[in-house]
Amino acid sequence: MEITLTHYLVLAGLVFLTGMVGFVVRRNALVMLMCIELMLCAVNIVFAAFSRLHGDAGGHVFVLMNFAVAASEAAIGLAILVEIYRRRRTVNVDDLKTLME
Amino acid sequence: MQSEILLRWIVLVPLLGAVVNGLLNRRLAKRVSGFIACAAIGVSFGLSVVVFLRLTGMDAEARVVNDILGTWLQIGGFHVDIGFAMDPLSAVMALVVTGVGFLIHIYSLGYMAHDDGFQRYFAYLNLFVFAMMTLVLGENLVMLFVGWEGVGLCSYLLIGFWFNDQANASAGKKAFIVNRIGDFGFLIGLFLIGANLLPHLAPGEGVFSFAILQHHAHLLAPAATGICLLLFLGATGKSAQIPLYIWLPDAMAGPTPVSALIHAATMVTAGVYMIARLNFLFVLSPTAMAVVAAVGAVTAIFAATIALTQNDIKKVLAYSTVSQLGYMMLACGVGAFTVGIFHLMTHAFFKALLFLGSGSVIHAMSNEQDMRVMGGLRSKLPVTYATFMTATLAIAGVFPLAGFFSKDEILWKAWESGNTVLWAIGFLAAGLTAFYMMRLVVLTFFGENRASSEVRSHIHESPATMTGPLVILAVLSVVGGWIGWPHFMGGGAWFENWLAPVFAVGEHGVAAHGAVAHHAADSTMEWTLAVVSVLWAVLGLILGWFVYYRRAAIADSFRKAGGGFVYRVLLNKYYVDEAYDAAFIRPGYRFSRQVLWKSVDAGLIDGLLVNGSALVVYLLGSVLRLFQNGMIRFYAWTFTIGVAVFVLYLSFSS
Amino acid sequence: MEGLLFWFCGSLLLLGGVMMVVQRSAVVSALWLVFAFLSAAGIFAVLGGTFLAVMQVLVYAGAIMVLFLFVIMMLQGPVMDGERRLMHPALWPLIAAPPAAVLIMLAGFLRGDRMVGFAGAPAPGFGSVVQVATLLLGRYLLAFELISIILLVALIGALAVGRGERKLPWK
Repeated sequence: MEITLTHYLVLAGLVFLTGMVGFVVRRNALVMLMCIELMLCAVNIVFAAFSRLHGDAGGHVFVLMNFAVAASEAAIGLAILVEIYRRRRTVNVDDLKTLME
Repeated sequence: MQSEILLRWIVLVPLLGAVVNGLLNRRLAKRVSGFIACAAIGVSFGLSVVVFLRLTGMDAEARVVNDILGTWLQIGGFHVDIGFAMDPLSAVMALVVTGVGFLIHIYSLGYMAHDDGFQRYFAYLNLFVFAMMTLVLGENLVMLFVGWEGVGLCSYLLIGFWFNDQANASAGKKAFIVNRIGDFGFLIGLFLIGANLLPHLAPGEGVFSFAILQHHAHLLAPAATGICLLLFLGATGKSAQIPLYIWLPDAMAGPTPVSALIHAATMVTAGVYMIARLNFLFVLSPTAMAVVAAVGAVTAIFAATIALTQNDIKKVLAYSTVSQLGYMMLACGVGAFTVGIFHLMTHAFFKALLFLGSGSVIHAMSNEQDMRVMGGLRSKLPVTYATFMTATLAIAGVFPLAGFFSKDEILWKAWESGNTVLWAIGFLAAGLTAFYMMRLVVLTFFGENRASSEVRSHIHESPATMTGPLVILAVLSVVGGWIGWPHFMGGGAWFENWLAPVFAVGEHGVAAHGAVAHHAADSTMEWTLAVVSVLWAVLGLILGWFVYYRRAAIADSFRKAGGGFVYRVLLNKYYVDEAYDAAFIRPGYRFSRQVLWKSVDAGLIDGLLVNGSALVVYLLGSVLRLFQNGMIRFYAWTFTIGVAVFVLYLSFSS
Repeated sequence: MEGLLFWFCGSLLLLGGVMMVVQRSAVVSALWLVFAFLSAAGIFAVLGGTFLAVMQVLVYAGAIMVLFLFVIMMLQGPVMDGERRLMHPALWPLIAAPPAAVLIMLAGFLRGDRMVGFAGAPAPGFGSVVQVATLLLGRYLLAFELISIILLVALIGALAVGRGERKLPWK
């Protein structure tokens, strides 16, 4: 069977869903961050696929931008996590309920 | 560079200074802050001079420079530009505002040197010049209105500059609120112009542009009386005329250079400028012109009588300003717009000088403003005394100082208009002006010093940054009137010729309406009146000198004898504040308390709206709180549901 | 050839993602994520984005994941707490419902008549370093500069957060 754009989109959708489910079921904030990275990766695949469809490498540029966003997000997210761990001695989000009060 | 582009920088450079000073504030050293502020105004003044010189090089009829930055509003046929224009009239105003403003900035360096709010002060001052230049150089009435409100704001900020004192803050609020009443009239006037003119215009024509307004003024003739009276209400607010003058004396709570710049030389003249700018509109309505002239004349004498008895040095000058503004209104009202602007200019010189001089006195007297404890400062403050005396002679109208030319012209024009009552009132007020100014000078500079010994030991002449502007303004107060040296004295009346293109329509219009019943305009009459008014002024001065210096007992015995009642009425400013208090403020307060607070606020708003909506929010909240459980994963889950619903909706809707 | 590579890399990518989610140890999760990213690089390569593939390996699988691993090692030990049991079984249907709905929708697209094919092979040089660089420093120069500012801000932000209770230099 010929590989079409739809194949890539469905693949990206599946990867995205995996990340989304992971984000909900995992309690470890570190793994939740990794799930976000996975979802971003799915988005990147969509960009690359459409770039191929239109024959315009502009999509690749946006993927690179996404890299930068992901890197920023990871850097700040991890810094916050380290700080939370320092204060609360845990990165389990079920124990971090101060948002409720 | 093109004059057009220079024009916007005249306005924007002070704004830049205000932004730098306002944002960096205390982070700037005082010297840097002061330098930035003065440099901004200096640049603005320099650019004004450049454009002014270019104007002089043009043909008399074509003397206008336009700088349109772009379209501001475009709603159907309604079109307003952001733009600036300089014609002979706004050139005069621009030079006065930036020139006097520059001197006052320099003066402020010395006056405010020890103030904590130094940077904030200069930020406000620069912002004021920006607003004033927008007002003066605005290409249309809406720009003028923006500047009008801007100067009102700066006035409020600067009156309440020392807001730690409750009285100063209240004075600021009073000025703002009283001006708001006038602005209300101004706005309605604007709306009326728009409503009457808009249907007649081609699309894209800026309805409020002065050029367009002038071109189509005849279309406004049926509504002119209403429009002009409403606009004049705005002018009475800004220019402190009866009945809205009450804020100006209280405005003296601000720093003295502010009183000089805003409440004497520039902002309060905005109303006169506006009327002169719209001269083609005002001449359409003889009724409105008569009202302007009458209000001006009555204000002139009314404020002059109050000034006779005030003991606060700045209050005397404040009432004097109100009185002089009345003169300018009188001039406009009899159709002599040129003379009104001429007096505006000379007044800016000598009144700014008087205020700055009084600032120098107050500075020397350790912030004492009561003249009863001054006296004998002549030898201690020689520069201040000399310059102050010059300004006093100028405002009294002694030949050949600046005040003589403009005030004499106004009286002459009033005489020429055929209304001798107006002339008589103006003439009487002129004598009173000379009298109370002499009283001020005598009480402050002559006789024995009545201050406590501690204050007395601190008396010193002000630093050069303060005396320098005094000297320059003194020179201007002497020579400033010479540019309007009248024809009958063999002068060229250069000032009149310069403004002639702007007022061609207006002053012609007055003649056409027959408002001018030409007396035999022979120079004999003019000479006679001039000589009489100079003699009258000198008489006032001598009388003032005699009563308060040579025979100080006379004033007291007058007060003790039958004059006591008159004295009390004048001292209490005709009880106008009290009357307003009884007529408007207390009923308003009672209405607010009984109706608005107890019924509307407590019952309707608090009971139904506030508590009611609080109840709704509370009920909603108790449901939503179930979702707000602090579980991040729960949030994420609701998020996924949202995404799923969204995706499904998209896929099924396509 | 393209089909073969797609199926290969795609299934490895999915495998990596799923394994990351179900692994209890954060370290193992991270290693599976590296695996998934490497597969994603393969997908990029299949799509003609050779430069992207390289960057994916270098930046994602390399730099970002190393950062993750580093933090995980730093917090080693307590990170496993509370992860003994993923989720109460009663909640599984709730969790699964939204993804399942989307999955059914995705399946609908796989019907032959709704597929959108690519028009032939990509042009020569598509996705090459030269082409991407030309775009990045030409058409998208402003975005490129802005994203660099975002990176800088993130860097400073991470530093500021990471300093903890200690006094900040500008306070």
